[in-house]
This record gives sequence, C-alpha cells and structure tokens, in this order.
Amino acid sequence: MSLVSVQGLSVTFASDKGPVAAVRNVSFDLNPGEILGIVGESGSGKSVTCRALLGLLPRRATVGGRILYDGRDLAGAAAIQAVRGREISMIFQNPASHLDPLMTIGDHVAEPLRFHFGLSAAEARAEALKLLESVRIRDAAARMDAWPHQLSGGMKQRVLIASALACKPRLLLADEPTTALDVTVQAGILQLLRDLNRESGLTMALVSHDLGVIAEICDRVIVMRGGEVIEAGLVRDVVTNPQHEYTRLLIGAQPGRLPQMAEPQEAPAGLFELKDVAVHFPTRSGGMVRAVDGVNLSIHKGECFGIVGESGSGKSTVARTIVRLITPTGGRVMFEGKSVGDLAGADLTAYRRAVQMVFQSPFDSLNPRMTAQQTIAEPIWRHGLASKSAAMARALQLMDMVELPRSFATRRPRALSGGQCQRVGIARALALSPRLLIADEVTSALDVTVQAQILRLLTRLRKERDLTVIYISHDLTVVRKFCDRVAVFQGGRLVETGATADLFASPSTGYTRDLIAAAPDMDQAMAERA
Amino acid sequence: MTDVVSPAPVHPAAPRFRHGTIEAALGAALLLAWLIAAFGAGVFAPYDPNALDLVAMLTPPDAAHWFGTDHLGRDVLSRVIYGARIDIWMGFAGVIAPLAVGVTVGLIAGYFGGLTDTILMRIVDITVAFPFFILVIAIVGVLGPGLVNYIIALALVAWVAYARLVRAEVLVVKRLEYVQAARALGFSDPVIILRHVLPNVLGSITIYAWTDAVMVILAGASLGFLGLGAQPPTAEWGVMIADGQPYVLQAWWICLFPGIAMVTLSLGFILVSDGLSRRLRVSA
Repeated sequence: MSLVSVQGLSVTFASDKGPVAAVRNVSFDLNPGEILGIVGESGSGKSVTCRALLGLLPRRATVGGRILYDGRDLAGAAAIQAVRGREISMIFQNPASHLDPLMTIGDHVAEPLRFHFGLSAAEARAEALKLLESVRIRDAAARMDAWPHQLSGGMKQRVLIASALACKPRLLLADEPTTALDVTVQAGILQLLRDLNRESGLTMALVSHDLGVIAEICDRVIVMRGGEVIEAGLVRDVVTNPQHEYTRLLIGAQPGRLPQMAEPQEAPAGLFELKDVAVHFPTRSGGMVRAVDGVNLSIHKGECFGIVGESGSGKSTVARTIVRLITPTGGRVMFEGKSVGDLAGADLTAYRRAVQMVFQSPFDSLNPRMTAQQTIAEPIWRHGLASKSAAMARALQLMDMVELPRSFATRRPRALSGGQCQRVGIARALALSPRLLIADEVTSALDVTVQAQILRLLTRLRKERDLTVIYISHDLTVVRKFCDRVAVFQGGRLVETGATADLFASPSTGYTRDLIAAAPDMDQAMAERA
Repeated sequence: MTDVVSPAPVHPAAPRFRHGTIEAALGAALLLAWLIAAFGAGVFAPYDPNALDLVAMLTPPDAAHWFGTDHLGRDVLSRVIYGARIDIWMGFAGVIAPLAVGVTVGLIAGYFGGLTDTILMRIVDITVAFPFFILVIAIVGVLGPGLVNYIIALALVAWVAYARLVRAEVLVVKRLEYVQAARALGFSDPVIILRHVLPNVLGSITIYAWTDAVMVILAGASLGFLGLGAQPPTAEWGVMIADGQPYVLQAWWICLFPGIAMVTLSLGFILVSDGLSRRLRVSA
C-alpha cells in the first residue's frame, strides 16, 4: 500500500484578478521507501503541491481533493497537525532563513524532540548529538553550541535535515533542498539524502527544477507543468523515452544535451590582459577580505571565455573590475595597450561603450519604472549617438535582434518574464555596439528551457556582431558547451585556465576535478546508476 | 475536477476592491471636499470672515449663523471655511519644504556614501537630538511669528526624517543591478540619481509625506494657538481655537467647529496615506 496517496489535488489562490489555479487535479502515490522526484519549471505548481501535503499554504489558498496518509484522510488542521513533524517533515530551499539566528544548532535539533516526545533537556540534547552525527556534521559535539551564522550554507542544510529527522518521520519532503548551494556542497547533501533513504528506508519527495539532481537520486519522477502532472514514471523510462512533448523539450534543454556552441579559434589575438589583479576590501573588524588576489589572465579577440567558480570565488568581482565598476587595489587591467584604471574623460566613455555587461537577476537589472523600449534606447541618446526619437526606433531593431516581439516595447519589467527581462538586458548592453560583452550568471535565475534559448541567442549574436564574450557561471555543464576557454576560480584565486576541451578532459588540479565530478548531469547520473 | 468533493473553502470570496482602495477613496473625498471649500470660500461662506458684528457677538448656532459667532460677532462658519485655505496651504507647503531638503540630502548621502554620508548623517543626528517642537518654536521665535517663518522652521527641522528614510532606500536601490548597469553604461551620477534612483525610492516617501501633513497642520495650529503661527485676525483654525478659549464655557461652538475641521482634514490625509501604503504593499 502506498504511504501517501494524493487524489485530485487542486489548489486555488484568491487574487485581485480573481482565482488563480496553481495546482489542477494532481494525483500520485508515494510508495514506502522510495524517492519520488517532482520536476517542473517555475510556476509549474511543484512547490505548492509539496506544501499542500503538510498544510503549509497561505490562508488565501483553497485546497480541493484528498490527501491520504497511511490510509488516513489529511483533511482539516487537526489531522495535518497530528502528522506534521512526527510522521512527515520538510526541508526547504534556503536553509539560512529557516534557522532561528537566536537558537543554537543543538537547540534547533532538540526542540522537536522536546515538543513532540516531551524529552527532558538532557535527553533531547543527547539525541540531538546523535542526529547531527547522522547527517555527517563533523565534530558535532563541538558544534552543538554554535549559532547558525557560524555555519556554511551546506552545514545549515544538514542541521535542517537533522531537525526534520528528529522525530523519525516516515516521509521527508525536500523542496529544492540544494538549489541555493554550491555544486560540491550539493553533491554532499544529495549523497546524504540517498544514504538516509538506503539506511533507514526513509521515504522522500524531492522537488527540483533540475532533472540532473532528480536523476541522481530519485526512483520515480513526476513532471509538472502549469499546475498539472503531464508525465509520471520511472526516472529511467521518462529520461530515455519521454512521452509528452514538453518532457522532451525539458530533457533536450538539459545543459548536457545542448549542442556544442564553442568554436576555438585558430590564431588568437589578445584583447584584454589582467596583470596581477587584486581586489581587497577592508572589513569592519580591521581585517582584509581578499576577494580577488593575484589574477593573471588574457582574453582573446572574438572568443567566448568562461569563468567558473563557486560562491565567493571572486568570479563576479573580476567581471566588475573589468567593467570598472570596481577599482582593483592592485595590478592592472590592460585593454588595447592601455591601463583601464587610468582612463578618464573621452577615453573612459569610449571604454564604457566598448565593454558592456549583462547581469544575473532578470528583474533587478532593469529599472522598474522604465519600459523595455526606454531602457534599451537610453544609452543610445545619452551617449549622443542619436536623437531621442531615433534611439527609440533603434531600440525596436535591437528588440528584433534579441527576438523580443515589438509588442512588448511598452511593457515594464513587472509585465515581462525572466527570460524576456534578460533579453531586454542583452539588448541594452548591445545598444552601444560593444566589443566585449560580460555575461554574469545571466541564465542562473532562468528555467532550463529559457536558458537554452538565451544561450542560442548569445551564440548567434557573438557570430553576427563579432563579439568577445566573458561568460561567468557556476554551471560547468553550460560552460563546457558554450565557452572556448575556461578559467576556474576558487577563493579569489585563479586555479587553472585552459581550452575547454582540454580542461574538462584532463583537469590539472584536484579542485577542478571535484567541481567537474559534482556538477549534476542527467545523462551522466543515469549512466552511473545503470 | 470530477467527482472529488473539496472541503468547504476556508477563505471568503476575494475582495471586490484592491486592498486600500476604499481608504484611499474616502480620504481623497474628504480632502477634495476641503479643497473645494477652500477654493470656493468666496461662494460658500455666508459672511466676510473678518466682518465684526458686535451686536451679534457670542450668538449660539442658529439659522443665520449655522456655527454661531465668536466674541467679536464674526461668523464661525465663514471663518472655518476661509481657514481651510490657510491650513491646507500650510499642510502642503509644510511638507514640501522639508521633503525637498530631506530627499536631496538623503540621495546625496546614500548614493555617494563615505565621508559625505558621514558628515550629512551627523548633521541629521544633531538635529534629531533637539526636541522637535521646542526647536521649531525657537526658530520661529528668532525669525518672528508668522506662517512663512513656520514653514522655514519646518524645512530646517523636519527634513531629517525624510533624509533618513531616503538614504536607507537609496542604500538598497544603489546595490540593485539596474543602477550597476547604468554605471557600466557610462551614465553620469546626476543622471543615475535622478532617473534611476529617485523614482524608485519615492514610494515610501510619498506615504510618509501624507502622514507628515497631519503633523504639520496640527503643529501649525498649535503654533497659532501660542500666537507664533498665523496672526490674528487671520481666520486660521488654531488661531480661532485660541480666540475662543476664554469663552469655552459660555460659547463652546467657537472652539468646537474649527476643531472638527482640523480632525476631518487630518483624517483625509491619514486615510490617503494608509490606503496608498496598503496598495503599494500589495502590488509591490
């Protein structure tokens, strides 16, 4: 018999514009001991479905259908409260915001034990220590009295898992548990979840936008889109033989399945030279953060240069230094024989036109008060390249170039999707006809299918406009497909650099090897599990 | 959905209006009524607000004088209507002057940061350290009584609240990527501040300003009461209450009606502020 049976679940949210159906007639079963993956893109209803199981929806949600847990109907607050925490528990995407900063790690894990089982403080503490050890927190005894801010993101997620497992639940719901984490940390958490499942037969539902993650640890998968389940089955069957057209699209958009877009050059000519660049920030306590230290790089004309690294590796700082949003505290950035730091007046303006940047967050990178057309036109007339009306006309051409329908010209960012916002951002960056385009994590906030479109667009623009591109990403699989050469950063330092194919085939440092191994890739995961 | 019966919806039907619409509309209606009264004072007021009629002094409300007359026989209704001109003007001018100063300072301090920020914010701290009303009274005392000097005093004292609010918002907005993008595009600082930062920090300022107007009107009336604001015989509500105070036991109407006027005008401002903040919070 299945542990959980969801029958005809529907969730509707009241809004100013009338009811919005977030989940429609969703039915699935969770068998004891399995890991079920729920995959879908933003707005597919996967998180809402997961939260509905624990009654964690906001008050304006109306829930229909039935949820049976172990044969019992979870209708009404009392029935849900009876299983919440004890039988079913949940972990979330952002571990930092789910830990109380004023409670120690030990207290976090001990609290559910005291609340649900009425253990004494000493008993709960002893039990908490065992739990922290079981989620592989090293030196758990010493960490019991640590505060959440003293732990890394991966450690916080482990603490959250430990407190979710405190009451020995039979079902663990994991809502994007590794999305906010670096790939190497993500690999560790996924390994932990898999071990918990194998060792104690813990049933899990793993919600993720990433088929690579699902493929690593799930037995079965359901694919959601627009609030409905469009396909369900064993992961192997769904990946190798998808039935629904959208599933095929989703699988085809996986970074590992993208076509090779890189074209290494024959005779490279230098464009940029970073010489011993360092960016140090003073901290409040009088120390020094070495965000970037001793970086030497050269970037060739017309190439696509990838910069990869985990959070805090200094990759974005390097980008901002090249654009001269940040002044390096040491070393020089050389562009066509001139030091960028010394540019002023007309030279600086010319440099600003030559080097442009596209940012990570689709919504934050556009002024919310300006329409798409105004945003794209502004740099043209502000730089005196055309009159305001001519610039507005040129903006429409740029919209064509980034494949954004002209009918979107008068829309503000709030009325655009993430991918459309990024297209506006790209058009704005291209408005001044730059020679170098820096793309800083431009697709990391986007769905994979949209990511594939944006990557294709950038590849086309690169060729058409003879652009040099610096592509910054945490996603090695994308970089492998998209970039000619790669530099790997760690802790503010350049670890290694080389032609993409060579670097991936034979990484020369242990760190690069770890990064490559940790990058989730659907096909690789399937091959390894076979 | 087919045969599955859902539990009764816990949530009542969606509201017919967006959050805050009703408050904002009520407040706007109140303000509009007062604006009409103020602009049409010549039409609506039955008497000259300053015409003395010593025969009819301290007349209780009756058909000839709906709100009665004061100790000099002036018609209270006419004085309340004409008083709206002064008090509404005071409300707007008394907000705009400190707002202009405070927003400018806040933008500069927040955007440029560093030493500029430190110096400007220490000036704010010093100003805040003095009791607000005492400082206003002191400045008006030095400049001489009168409404214009009251507004000047407000500009010198009340700007600090706006400066702090704007600076805090600027610190958030300037880290956003569209401001970074504007810098990367080579736009000048004034362009970035005025076109990309200012419009995106105005929301909370606007809400605060509507509430601030109430404070300005009440403080202005208090100053009028103390003889430091509008000067007699000007028909200003605070002055009228001060005038009526010696007679409050025999002739309650002299103080009551300007008091009610002040409450309704303030309510209008508060409702608009409340409605706007709810609407902005929902749609933000």
